[in-house]
Amino acid sequence: MRGEAKKMDIWTLVTIAGFAIVIVFLIYPLFDVFKFSFEDKETGVASMANWKEFLSRAYYLRAFNHSMIVALLTTFFSALLGIPLAFFTTRYRIRGSNLLSTLSVLALLSPPFIGAYSWITMLGRNGFLRNMFLTIGVKLPQIYGPLGIILADTLQYYPFISLMTAGALMTIDRSLEEASENLGARSFGTFFTVTLPLVLPSLTGGALIVFMMSLSNFGTPMIIGGNYLVLPTLAYNLFTSEVSERPGMASTVSIVLMLCASVIIIFQQWASNRRKYASMLVNRPIVKQLKGMKSFLAYLVCYSIVALSTLPLAVIVFYSFRNTNGPVFTNGFGLDSYRQIFFDVPKTVANSFVYSFIAVVLIASIGTLIGFVIARKKDWAVKTLDPLLMIPYMVPGTVIGIGFIVAFNRKPIYLAGTATIIVLTYFIRRLPYSVRSSASILKQIDPALEEAGINLGSPPGRTFRTVTLPLMQSGIISGAIMSWVTSMNELSASILLYVGKTMTMPIKIYLSVVDGYFGTASAMSTILLVVTGIAVFVVNKYFKRGNDTFIGA
Amino acid sequence: MTPIKIVGVEKRFGDLFALSDIHLDIAEGEFFTLLGPSGCGKTTLLRTIAGFYRQDKGDIYLGEELINDVPAYRRNTGMVFQNYAVFPHMTVFENVAYGLKVRKLPAKDIEEKVMNALKSVHLTGYETRTPDKLSGGQQQRVGLARAMAIEPRVLLFDEPLSNLDAKLRVEMREEIRAVQKALGITAVYVTHDQEEALVISDRIAVVNFGKIQQVGVPWEIYKNPVNLFVATFVGKINSMEVQFGTAGKDGLRQASSGPISFSVPSSGTEGLDSAILAFRPEDVVETSKSSSENRLAGTLLSTAFLGSVASLELDVKGRMVVIDRHRPKRSDIPQVGETVEFAIPSEACLLFNKESGARLGGGTAK
Repeated sequence: MRGEAKKMDIWTLVTIAGFAIVIVFLIYPLFDVFKFSFEDKETGVASMANWKEFLSRAYYLRAFNHSMIVALLTTFFSALLGIPLAFFTTRYRIRGSNLLSTLSVLALLSPPFIGAYSWITMLGRNGFLRNMFLTIGVKLPQIYGPLGIILADTLQYYPFISLMTAGALMTIDRSLEEASENLGARSFGTFFTVTLPLVLPSLTGGALIVFMMSLSNFGTPMIIGGNYLVLPTLAYNLFTSEVSERPGMASTVSIVLMLCASVIIIFQQWASNRRKYASMLVNRPIVKQLKGMKSFLAYLVCYSIVALSTLPLAVIVFYSFRNTNGPVFTNGFGLDSYRQIFFDVPKTVANSFVYSFIAVVLIASIGTLIGFVIARKKDWAVKTLDPLLMIPYMVPGTVIGIGFIVAFNRKPIYLAGTATIIVLTYFIRRLPYSVRSSASILKQIDPALEEAGINLGSPPGRTFRTVTLPLMQSGIISGAIMSWVTSMNELSASILLYVGKTMTMPIKIYLSVVDGYFGTASAMSTILLVVTGIAVFVVNKYFKRGNDTFIGA
Repeated sequence: MTPIKIVGVEKRFGDLFALSDIHLDIAEGEFFTLLGPSGCGKTTLLRTIAGFYRQDKGDIYLGEELINDVPAYRRNTGMVFQNYAVFPHMTVFENVAYGLKVRKLPAKDIEEKVMNALKSVHLTGYETRTPDKLSGGQQQRVGLARAMAIEPRVLLFDEPLSNLDAKLRVEMREEIRAVQKALGITAVYVTHDQEEALVISDRIAVVNFGKIQQVGVPWEIYKNPVNLFVATFVGKINSMEVQFGTAGKDGLRQASSGPISFSVPSSGTEGLDSAILAFRPEDVVETSKSSSENRLAGTLLSTAFLGSVASLELDVKGRMVVIDRHRPKRSDIPQVGETVEFAIPSEACLLFNKESGARLGGGTAK
């Protein structure tokens, strides 16, 4: 094998390509963000002015506090919903628990602002639920602001906690809990001394993902936040505001956002590294049958939680079939809104599908190759590449968007206004997930299989093609489908990069909501939801993949 | 039908010497076993022969060919893996055909060779099964058929039976041995199971700390170990430190471990005043049958009944000694706490250097 390695083999090329991608599409644009933040806009001289301003003006610090409050409370409420749901559905026999987890996955993967906008139609200024309550004399609080953001975020992101905790609960060997009871602990004590500590790392991991998602979410606070600015919306406003465009300040806010995200990611890595002890599964845990009142309560809790998170989606679908006249809903049902989409903006729909498809082909093929290098080769180059590929996890979409505008709006790479730049944002944001997932699939494939192939006379390239790749196939395809779904729903980076002809569905939905065209927005959201639903169904049904695939999304 | 010659091979992983100064001559058609504890380097040596590792020093020849720089996929060595490594996405037939397809054989030849290979491992009729429908033993048979089918120059076995249950292990090792002899292919077999090694091998190399400790036929390894490591690793043995007394007549010498006194062969002990004395439990004789040499008595601590043998653990004046009773009758087995008398023939006493562990005055095994 060493004799082979002297020549430039395919894996060396893949490593070099990996570095090229990271340097051109991550380091180069992010470096510009840093540069902007630390220089004077007029003179280009190095300056700490932006940072002094950020730290001294309440306007900026308030956005930071808002972000923290929203992310913390979203995490707290997500845990409040997620933990009981996970425990009840894994430990008690709950009919329809598959349906429950599919519906919560759907909520999780739905376009990032559908929830927000749906809650506006329910509880906004003229929301139908709010009006209903007004007629019976109950005045509900305003949904705009932190309340709305936390509500929408919680109902979208709690599945991270419920799915990860459920996953851990299902892989605790029954004998561990039995051992505890055998040694004299009551079942209550067993829960707190054995079960909970064993799922805690997964639970923490899930909670940190929720925190991270909520922190970097752009669509929801933009739509439902009103004047309540958080870091991503602040950065967006600073960058795009026509009155006082402040790219330097936007960069500074971006960096603050990235720093927060990095801290969270480091915690998350630490938590997931500690997850190792749930792996030896010999006896599956017992699922208990509950009776009477207890059973009723368990059902009530599970179904209420999932119903609440499905409600916004159902409302959207319902509204998409209402008749409209311009921005106004009229009586009766029909396909007006869909007709409008297909006659007015067919290009937008096509763009979403085409861009996502191209991005996914790139993500899956390049991600698989890099994943192989990371899982199987252990030289210094690979050890450097691996952490560099973590960068997109830490960089919120808004920041990638800003970096791309700045870096690719000048020579040597001029991409402003092209479809390529949109595809590239999808690609770079999603690539690390694909790399991770193919590396982790590979870690489950015994290297002895590849050695067997080589031993039987097949050269390394052919062995990869005939042995490794077929074994990875289902993992790669289901990962690709998930990448496709998230690319279809991408908003935070593309909103900064689109021009009229490269508009995509999430952008159009966002603009429609802002302009009050709820009919069009609903119809388009419904299309995205259906696409997402089909993807989830296909992954579940044909690839027999667990919920882990979705959590990775 | 290819001999293997290994000359001065050394392999390091960082600072660790996984193999140092390995010299082996494995004859054509020989069943050669590398035996040693885990981490001793035996698997490293096998993988170096297969080409998965490149040695840092030394040469490896397959037949006349120097294969140092031949990549693994051109070495034509059929390897059988510890965890089977049967391709899970292929049927039994496709698994066995894999290496033949790589060699671009005509479909008809492939089919014939696959069928022959499956027949010799008793898997005829399983062609279309997928590996998940096979037991561990059947999967390992597929692994063996797949390695045989390519008609390799040598067969390499990497602890192929360690994942199987005890009964199947015994069956499979006999099959492996039979198939190898029938084909006359040189085989290198790695195991940590000394019993398996004794049964299956033409010759054994005992490996420890990356070094070959002893090479020999099974009988020699067991009966005439060159050092204390080989003596303790292969089979059971009692050992204790002894101080030498004066040399006596008939080539014997007094040796004592505290209050216990032995008469042991004096050859090789010249100039030493202490050593390690060792004897195997089965070499102990009952006092009634013995002349009277090295008579000892101990208090019975526990007994273990193993069917053909009963193993007695005794406290002999503060030293733990295990002795065997062959074809035990129930009435023969004393009660715990009773005194048991036994004798150790002096020729059954093996002596080893206290520092180096090297055998003193070897070659006198009975």
